Amino acid sequence: MNTPTFMRASLGNPLFVIAPVCLLLAVVLFSALQREFATTANLGNITGQVSLLLLLSAGQMVVMVNRGFDISVGAVAALSSTVAALAVNQFGTAGLAMGVLAGATLGLLNGVLVAYLGVQPIIATLGSLLAARALARLISDDGQAIVVQGNSVLSALSESSWIGAPPLFWLSAGSLVGLGLVLYRTAMGRRLFMCGSNPHAAALIGVSVARSTCLAYLLCGTMAGLGGIALLSRSGAGLPTEGAGLELQSIAAALIGGTALAGGSGSLIATAAGAFFIQTIMTGLNLIGVAPFIAQILFGMLIIGSGFLEKLTHRFFNHHQGLQ
Amino acid sequence: MQKLNIQPAVVVALLLALAFSLFVPRFASLGNAENLLRIAAILAIASSGQAIVLMTGGIDFSTGASVALVSVVTALLLQDMPPVWAVPLGASVAIAVGLINGVLVGRMRVTPLIATLGMSLVCGGYASHLAGGMPLDPAASEAFAWLGRGAVGGIPIPIVMAVGGFVLLHIVLTRTVFGRYWQLIGTNARAARMAGLPVSQALIAAYVFAGLLTGMAGAILTSRVGSGQPQLFPSLPFEAIAACAVGGISLAGGRASALQVYAGVFIIAMLNNVVVLLNLPPAVQQITIACVIVGSVTLQLPSVRTHLGRVSNRRTTGKVGTAP
Repeated sequence: MNTPTFMRASLGNPLFVIAPVCLLLAVVLFSALQREFATTANLGNITGQVSLLLLLSAGQMVVMVNRGFDISVGAVAALSSTVAALAVNQFGTAGLAMGVLAGATLGLLNGVLVAYLGVQPIIATLGSLLAARALARLISDDGQAIVVQGNSVLSALSESSWIGAPPLFWLSAGSLVGLGLVLYRTAMGRRLFMCGSNPHAAALIGVSVARSTCLAYLLCGTMAGLGGIALLSRSGAGLPTEGAGLELQSIAAALIGGTALAGGSGSLIATAAGAFFIQTIMTGLNLIGVAPFIAQILFGMLIIGSGFLEKLTHRFFNHHQGLQ
Repeated sequence: MQKLNIQPAVVVALLLALAFSLFVPRFASLGNAENLLRIAAILAIASSGQAIVLMTGGIDFSTGASVALVSVVTALLLQDMPPVWAVPLGASVAIAVGLINGVLVGRMRVTPLIATLGMSLVCGGYASHLAGGMPLDPAASEAFAWLGRGAVGGIPIPIVMAVGGFVLLHIVLTRTVFGRYWQLIGTNARAARMAGLPVSQALIAAYVFAGLLTGMAGAILTSRVGSGQPQLFPSLPFEAIAACAVGGISLAGGRASALQVYAGVFIIAMLNNVVVLLNLPPAVQQITIACVIVGSVTLQLPSVRTHLGRVSNRRTTGKVGTAP
C-alpha cells in the first residue's frame, strides 16, 4: 500500500478491476438472456436486496485488510434487527440507533478479544456468533420474529423509491461513503492499512497495532449493526434467527472485490461491486430459472476461482513475497 | 512430538469431569456416560481430520457440507445396493472432496480458507440438488443402522470407531513421516519448501486424510439419523475448529496431538451434556458454550506463545490474524 489517494487506492491494484468487470459481464449476460432483467422494477429489487450484503461486505473488508475475518456478521445483523425492532416499538424511530449500538458493541467485543487478548479471529468471532444468536433468542421469546407495529419511516425506507432505488439503498451507499472517508481520508484509516500490510513495521514506527485491529472489528460490527437495520426495514420485523450464510457471502464479496486475505490491501468500491455481483448472479439465475442449488454450486466455484486468481496475480506481480 | 508432555487441556478435561460428577445430578451415570460419548464420538472423528488440516496452517470449512453430501449419496446408493457397499462408497465421497481441497491448496496454492469455503458451497449445493432439497429416506434396515446404533461387546460402534480414530491419528502423527511434514509445513512453509520437502504432496495427503476421517464421521452420522439430509450438520467445521482450539492446538499451525483433539472434544461434549442435564434454557446453553470456547482458548494463549517462542514480540506479530 503506497498509494495515498482515494482513487489510486481504489484502482491501483489489478485485482480491484475484476469485480466491476464481472459485474458488467453478469449484467450484460442476464439482460441478453432474460428481458425481465433489465427493467427498472428489477433494478429496484436488486438495489433493495443488496443493501444488507453491501453493508456486511464493507465491514468484512475492513477486517480482512487487517488480516482477520469476522464470521459473526450475519448473527450480529440478526441481533441488531431484533434489538432495533424492540426499541422502535418502545421509543419510536430513534430506537433504530439501539440496533446499530448493539452491532458496535459486539464488534468491540471481537476487537478486544482479537487485538488485546490475542484470540484468533475465527475463535473470537465464533464466540460472538454464538453469543449474538443466544442474546437474540433471549430477548425475543426464543427466536420469535418481532413485528414492528405501524412505523411509517421504516416501511418507507424499503418500499418507496427514490431515483430508481429504495431510500434504504441510498442510506447504505451513504454509510459506505462514510466508511470510505474513515478508511481513506483519516490517519486512523491509513494506519489500518499499514497494520494489515506489515504489522511489524507499523509497530516499529510507533503505531499501535492492537488499537488498529480493535478499530477494524468495531467498524465491522457497526456495519453489521447497520445491516440489521436494513434487514428490519425490508422484512418489517426483527428476525433473531436470520442471517446464516451471510458471513460466507460477505467474505466472498470482499474476496471477489480483490481484498487480500493476507491483509493490507482492499478497495471499498471493488468490494461493493463484488456484493452487487453476487446479488446480480443470484437474482439473475433465479430469473432465468436456474435452481437455487445450482446457483450455489456456481457461487462456490466462483469463490475458488477468485482465490485462484488472487494467487495467480500475486505470483505474477510478485506481491507479498513472504507468503506460502 | 514430545512424549509425556502433559497437556493443560487434558488436566482441564479431567478436572471438569470430576467437578461435574460431584455437583451435577445424573452426570456420573452409566447411561449418561454412554450417551455423552456416543455424541462426542462423531465430533471427535471429524475434529481429528480438522486437526491435521490446522496443523499444516490450513483450515477446513467444507466438512459440514461434506458430511451432508456423504449422507445424501449414501441414501441414494442404498436404493440400489446393500449397506455393506453403499456406506463405504458414500463415505468415500468425503475423500474425493478432501482430494479436491488438497489439490486446490497444495498444488494450485489457493488460500485454504477460500478453497474450502468454495468447496463447502459446491458440496452443499450438490447435496441439496441431489436430494431435491428434502431429506431422503432410504428403507430402514438393521445393517444400515448398525454403524450408528449397534454395539460390539456392549460398546456402541461410534465409540469403537472414535477409539480407532484416536489410534489412527496418533500413529499417523507420531510414527509416520507425514506427521513430521505437516508439523514443519505448519510451522514454516517456506522453510519446508526450501528444505526440499514434498510440500504439495504432503498438503494433498493432509486434506485427503482429513477427508477420510470426515467420511467416517459422516457415515456414522448418516446411520444415526437414518436418512440422507442435505442440511445434516452445517456447524460441524466450527465445532471441530473450536474443539481443536480448546484442546490447545494453535490455529496458526504447527504442533497437534491426538490427545489434544480428544481432550478438546471431551470438554465441549461434557459442557453440552451438562447444560442439558441442568435444564438451562437453550439461549443460556449457547452463551455458556461460547464463553467456555473463547475463555479456554484465551487462557491457553501464553503457553502457546511459549511453545512458539514468540513471547518477546507478541505485541507485534502476535496480534495478526490466522490467515495463513
